[in-house]
Amino acid sequence: MASPLLELRNITKRFPGVLANDSVSLKLNKGEIVALLGENGAGKSTLMNVVYGLLSPDGGEVFVDGEPVELKSPRQAIDLGIGMVHQHFMLIEPLTVTENIVLGNEPTTAGVIDIRKARADVVEISERYGLAVDPDAKIIDLPVGAQQRVEILKALYRGARILILDEPTAVLTPQEVKELFGVVRQLVTEGLAVVLITHKLEEVMASSDRVVVMRDGKVVGETKPSDTDMSGLARMMVGREVVFRIEKKPTVCGDTVLNVRNLKVLDDRHLEAVKGMTFDICAGEIVAIAGVSGNGQTQLIEALTGLRKVEEGTISFLGNDITHSSARQTIDAGVSHVPEDRHRRGLVLEFDLAENMILGDHRKPPFTKRGIMDPQAIAQITEERVEEYDVRSPSIRIAAANLSGGNQQKLVLAREVGRNPELLVAAQPTRGLDVGAIEFVHSRILAERDSGKGVLLVSLELEEVQSLADRILVVFEGRIVKEFAAGQASDEELGYFMTGGGGTKLTENSDTEGGESNDA
Amino acid sequence: MLSDIITPDLFAAAVRIATPLALAAIGGTICERSGIVNIALEGMMLVGAFAGVVGALATGSAWFGVLCAILAGALLALIHAFASINLRTDQVVSGTAINILALGLTGFFMEVIYGHPGTTDSAPRLMPVFNISGPTEGVLGTIWTWINGVFLSFTPIVYIAIFIAIFGQWALFHTRWGLRLRALGEHPRAADTVGISVVRGRYSAVLMSGALGGLAGANLTLEQVGSFTEDMTNGRGFIALAANIFGRWTPGGSYLASLLFGFADALQIKLQLFRDVIKIPSQFFLMLPYVLTVVVLAGVVGRAVAPAAVGKPYEKG
Ligand SMILES: Nc1ncnc2c1ncn2[C@@H]1O[C@H](COP(=O)(O)OP(=O)(O)OP(=O)(O)O)[C@@H](O)[C@H]1O
Ligand SMILES: [Mg+2]
Repeated sequence: MASPLLELRNITKRFPGVLANDSVSLKLNKGEIVALLGENGAGKSTLMNVVYGLLSPDGGEVFVDGEPVELKSPRQAIDLGIGMVHQHFMLIEPLTVTENIVLGNEPTTAGVIDIRKARADVVEISERYGLAVDPDAKIIDLPVGAQQRVEILKALYRGARILILDEPTAVLTPQEVKELFGVVRQLVTEGLAVVLITHKLEEVMASSDRVVVMRDGKVVGETKPSDTDMSGLARMMVGREVVFRIEKKPTVCGDTVLNVRNLKVLDDRHLEAVKGMTFDICAGEIVAIAGVSGNGQTQLIEALTGLRKVEEGTISFLGNDITHSSARQTIDAGVSHVPEDRHRRGLVLEFDLAENMILGDHRKPPFTKRGIMDPQAIAQITEERVEEYDVRSPSIRIAAANLSGGNQQKLVLAREVGRNPELLVAAQPTRGLDVGAIEFVHSRILAERDSGKGVLLVSLELEEVQSLADRILVVFEGRIVKEFAAGQASDEELGYFMTGGGGTKLTENSDTEGGESNDA
Repeated sequence: MLSDIITPDLFAAAVRIATPLALAAIGGTICERSGIVNIALEGMMLVGAFAGVVGALATGSAWFGVLCAILAGALLALIHAFASINLRTDQVVSGTAINILALGLTGFFMEVIYGHPGTTDSAPRLMPVFNISGPTEGVLGTIWTWINGVFLSFTPIVYIAIFIAIFGQWALFHTRWGLRLRALGEHPRAADTVGISVVRGRYSAVLMSGALGGLAGANLTLEQVGSFTEDMTNGRGFIALAANIFGRWTPGGSYLASLLFGFADALQIKLQLFRDVIKIPSQFFLMLPYVLTVVVLAGVVGRAVAPAAVGKPYEKG
């Protein structure tokens, strides 16, 4: 048999206090999709970063086409035909989509970029692979879903033979996921080999040829989708049974926690992104916003949490007007926020776990007394929450940047949910979490609800929406176009309204527009 | 009176004064676009000014002096590059140290080479590029004096600076070099992941800024003053830094901002000549360029956004 396209032998990578890869071996053949599974912090991204030349291993060898190769920088990996979609987007915000995609491989004549050709190339591959992007938009103006598509197109543009996908679907809609795997299948039949890292087991079952499972830096097993099922995979990963569907008691709706009336909010380009939304959340209720990324969810959340100016309309929280409150005032009032982009909004990456854990509460006792921080109190609460949320790190004195993606997410959740808010605004709360962690976070969110708190959940994942929400609001183009009670709608129905099938007007409920604002 | 103040040579002076500022400012632009803060422009200019005179005096060729100035600036920049890229020193600290070093080095070599402190002998100078005689009389004469004064009266580096500004502006936004430079200063890791060498890119940007700083120094000594005096740059490197911010980290903007400073300075000098007519204390005139800076910064320019990764050392995993 021909030698494998890519082979890793005994790769070892150590970070201070962690053995991230412990003598890992892996083979990847032409024409196959290998799923790399493992809990948060198992060492998947580390291993792939070694293959891509971003990290240099402490031991072990990499072979491409049977030849030993030394990967000192991504340039060498790229030249060997290795492409990678990174877990945390490697996009340059002030540059356009086209500039980001061609960067490093620019079509030029005598050093001058042929921008027209570049743009045409981008349009061409975006159409060929069914990943729609606006080639002239700046990254900073794009919703996360579109950024994900750009990141994937970047790898495809380079025409890799070995494609590494590190959680490429965390923020894609089911439709986009389907299209992406169609593309990947097609590439594989053309002779490519793909490593797919994902926490979504149905994707693994549907699209991989082989599954390699890692735990604590080691490969602990290998299987084929045909030989197992989702619970089997989960067991291999986590080492115990995982419950996929959680039991939910019927809700007891209490007083109104959040009251939003005819809210209008602009985006960064001064276009109206939220075009008059009206809804309530009561104590003990989870309200989910379902929609394709980029339909005003980001701006809605930012307005609710004091991060963006409200143009029109009112927001009241527990009877108090917070329409024009600052982020600090909203936090102090009891609103917690799990942002959709943990790197941009959720964490200060250079800060350690303890510092990140008290951000937002850092002025209050017991963390600060008379303006002076109390490191002991801070360390204590951090230890407690790290334990409870299973944030895996050798110490709480490590910079958040050094945590694995999923553990960074757990850190944000530990802070925002741990603060015990009256209202939890959570955007993609389980982005990048492993199945075990998702189970835990879902049960924590339900516990919040059962103890009489309000929850606003924004998620692209219909499964999450369906299993948690008491009420589902479907948004399209900045408006709420449909409202469902829990269990009322099928995924197909939701999808229909999410993509504008029901038009842009609220279909069922009477329009409350121009309604009374309680406390103007 | 107004016609005595608003004369061709007022504008010519503005362009001349703007030239060293603009060259250094463009150097600052390139450096900061790559993600490295360069407050050592002052020192690079000073070393360039000195090396220019040394080279010109030693060989009798002003152009050889210019070459020496560029090399000296780049050499000093090499220290800054090594400190901030390899050693990951705080870039402000490294820049400050280099400024002090430049002051010391020039003073020291002044003694070693010429045996005295203060000012050097006059060096060969670069002469105006054009020397065209035109009509002197009547309306045509007036028009010609303006055209000649404002556009045709300059020495070579003045034109070179204008060319660099225009070409640099175009290159930053239309060439591979420009795109990669912008990427480096915004998100070096992203640049790294697409195969762009952060180390090489940043080194070349810092060296370029040093070369431009050196050229600015050569303009001071070999075109404007004709000799070197210790500490003669007198804070121009820092004004250049402001001009770069002012010009929003673009070569063209840096040039225009420098021109504004240059004009304010030229006007100030001119107005001092009329201090007997205009009864205002001369300190007021001296204030003018700075007041202008504050006004423009506060009002016209709006919020300037620096490259996101500027000043942060890049560390590979
Ligand atoms: N730069 C770094 N410095 C120190 N420790 C690191 C660094 N990068 C990763 N680690 C540690 O190495 C381990 C493996 O991390 P890695 O990112 O590979 O996990 P992962 O399997 O990709 O997890 P996830 O599913 O959460 O993305 C973790 O314990 C993490 O804390
Ligand atoms: Mg990872």
